[in-house]
Amino acid sequence: MQPKPKTWSLTTEETNLPSPPLEMNRQIIERVEDYKFLGNIIGNKNKMNVGVAHSEVNPNTRVMNSRGIWLTYALGVGMLHIVLLSIPFFSVPVVWTLTNIIHNFGMYVFMHAVKGTPFETPDQGKARLLTHWEQLDYGVQFTSSRKFFTISPIILYFLASFYTKYDTTHFVINTASLLSVLIPKLPQLHGVRIFGINKY
Amino acid sequence: MTESSANKPANGQVCHRVKNGVKPGRNGFIKNHHHYHHQQPMYCYPEDKVQHTTCNGSSGLGLYSRPFIESFEETPMLVAVLTYMGYGILTIFGYLRDFLRDWKIERCHVAREREEQRDFVPLYQDFENFYTRNLYMRIRDSWNRPICSVPGAKVDLVERVSPDYNWTFDYTGKVVEGVINMGSYNYLGFAENTGYCADASAEVTMKYGVGVASTRQEMGNLDRHEEMEELVAKFLGVESAMAFGMGFATNSMNIPALTGKGCLILSDELNHASLVLGARLSGSTIRVFKHNNMQSLEKMLRDAIVHGQPRTHRPWKKILILVEGIYSMEGSIVRLPEVIALKKRYRAYLYLDEAHSIGALGPGGRGVVDYFGLDPRDVDVMMGTFTKSFGAAGGYIGGRKELLEYLRSHSHSAVYAASMSPPVVEQIIASMKCIMGEDGTTLGRDRVQQLAENTLYFRRRLTEMGFIIYGNNDSPVVPMMLYMPAKIGAFGREMLKRNIGVVVVGFPATPIIESRARFCISAAHTKDMLDTALSVISEVGDLLQVKYSRHKRLIYDQIQD
Repeated sequence: MQPKPKTWSLTTEETNLPSPPLEMNRQIIERVEDYKFLGNIIGNKNKMNVGVAHSEVNPNTRVMNSRGIWLTYALGVGMLHIVLLSIPFFSVPVVWTLTNIIHNFGMYVFMHAVKGTPFETPDQGKARLLTHWEQLDYGVQFTSSRKFFTISPIILYFLASFYTKYDTTHFVINTASLLSVLIPKLPQLHGVRIFGINKY
Repeated sequence: MTESSANKPANGQVCHRVKNGVKPGRNGFIKNHHHYHHQQPMYCYPEDKVQHTTCNGSSGLGLYSRPFIESFEETPMLVAVLTYMGYGILTIFGYLRDFLRDWKIERCHVAREREEQRDFVPLYQDFENFYTRNLYMRIRDSWNRPICSVPGAKVDLVERVSPDYNWTFDYTGKVVEGVINMGSYNYLGFAENTGYCADASAEVTMKYGVGVASTRQEMGNLDRHEEMEELVAKFLGVESAMAFGMGFATNSMNIPALTGKGCLILSDELNHASLVLGARLSGSTIRVFKHNNMQSLEKMLRDAIVHGQPRTHRPWKKILILVEGIYSMEGSIVRLPEVIALKKRYRAYLYLDEAHSIGALGPGGRGVVDYFGLDPRDVDVMMGTFTKSFGAAGGYIGGRKELLEYLRSHSHSAVYAASMSPPVVEQIIASMKCIMGEDGTTLGRDRVQQLAENTLYFRRRLTEMGFIIYGNNDSPVVPMMLYMPAKIGAFGREMLKRNIGVVVVGFPATPIIESRARFCISAAHTKDMLDTALSVISEVGDLLQVKYSRHKRLIYDQIQD
């Protein structure tokens, strides 16, 4: 028979502090309700979720909605720009065009070229042939993330056009680069693979 | 807009307008509450009492007999940005390492297809393994640690080292002894190899053997099983109960017996994989409501009843609500009074999975129903497991007599699965009698009380130290946020160096920026062990800088300085 365990509580004997009044022990309930559960009604089909503690089948669909990712993205572009500005050989127009090109190239590769998920999903690979852009929010169009990532290359394009003083060569390069990253985002091109490129 | 833990529905109470004339904010939530989010210190001043009573609004409806306090503090923005940068850097390095492996500059440890089958259609996609080989492998030594003693309050670990960065492990032959165990689901401390329960199990093994060699329906129904089931029914306060050999199989094999095509299952967002699998196997339509959000649940119930089945608009054959007592990843407790109120109002059935809460909550240890002081007959199907608080293995379902008679003949588990092993059954009987006080001692009641005190103390000390802790104040599962991927591995390793074993969890088991360390408090932990653990956690927390909470208890900090 084990001895009765020593009981304690946070009273004055234990901590030598004045014990706070009882009302002050409450914590503020801090969760705020603001969620549109689009993805869960439309996209979440009942799956066997092995090893995960939530019923989100494909976390890739929600990663662009998480807290702080837009800010991180903007900071990343800013960092890229500053690094390019630090290189002494490039003039300001060249730097802006380079920022635009590198940003659009990166966006194209990660959102429109790479397919599937970097982890196994419990839905037997429904998203294996879909690019990240097509996976966002389970294919629902015109959500906030999609709007944000459509507008950001356009803003960058405006800035680049301004800083290159609308020079013809820069204009051609920047416009081509912008089109390469805007056209795949059109809803009409959802799931479309032109000439079978990048199909499998 | 963006989601985070704080944006997710929190106080999702039943949709009632407050009566004091305060204008509700979005989704019926009180707007003033927002402004008090960050400016307040930990101690609430008297003017906030009004806010609390209205915010904790259901207490005005009389549903809750005790304060329901839970907190899920929002991720600090800087931490979120750094976490994404961390994952970004890991991704870049992952691509670099893949490139090196592809060009044979670096040795490739990953399994590859056989030479003869190189031109076949590949079994796996390389990219799907990206996370595993580039992120998980680096910190793999925090998981699957072999233990070589009973997982009580202290445990012995087999020491292992890795010469090639966790691709393979070698055992040094030594044993790390006396590691304080903060990871086992040992809520009441029944995971022990001495004492009344262990002796009873040993005796029964001598009499009945270990294996049963049959299913319950054939020759495997022992008198110990019958006695155990009666005891479980008495413990829960239901008419009848039935036990199965595996907790996961209880859920996944019995939900298909209860619902089928034409039925609707409303399951919580963070339900366990066994519930999700059972729901899927049943063939019913599944709709997911936001975690613990009663407004979302009510809306779904109303939509379901009004619109009926998807195309034909016929009424649903039955509606089953699946919730858990304690959610082990968040540490939150289900809002049971509101769920039951909704269930009664809309005439749905309730399936309550008390895997973590049975034995751990409530003044008598009878689970979440006891914790809220509700009637067990209100819950249609009470399910639970014996793994966590009883130190045994297996699961049970309790409910009305007709339900259990039906399940005894229609459940896959009863018909096809082998019945529980006699020593396990005896452990359940002994521990349950102990908790109920039927063995003539007050040991059970002491353990339940000890667990409650341990929980309160541990949670309070951790929040004082400045960590972000999720969940309800009374839940013995304590998730502590780490956020960054590198800190997951670092935390696990540093704690082990200081002789404390913890469980850390990261993406994809949790949302991408919400990786955490999860502590499970036990009644077997003495105050000294908890104090040691807390001081070590504080030390490691300072080292890794994980004390992110912005609601530090300023007064305590000043005095402790």
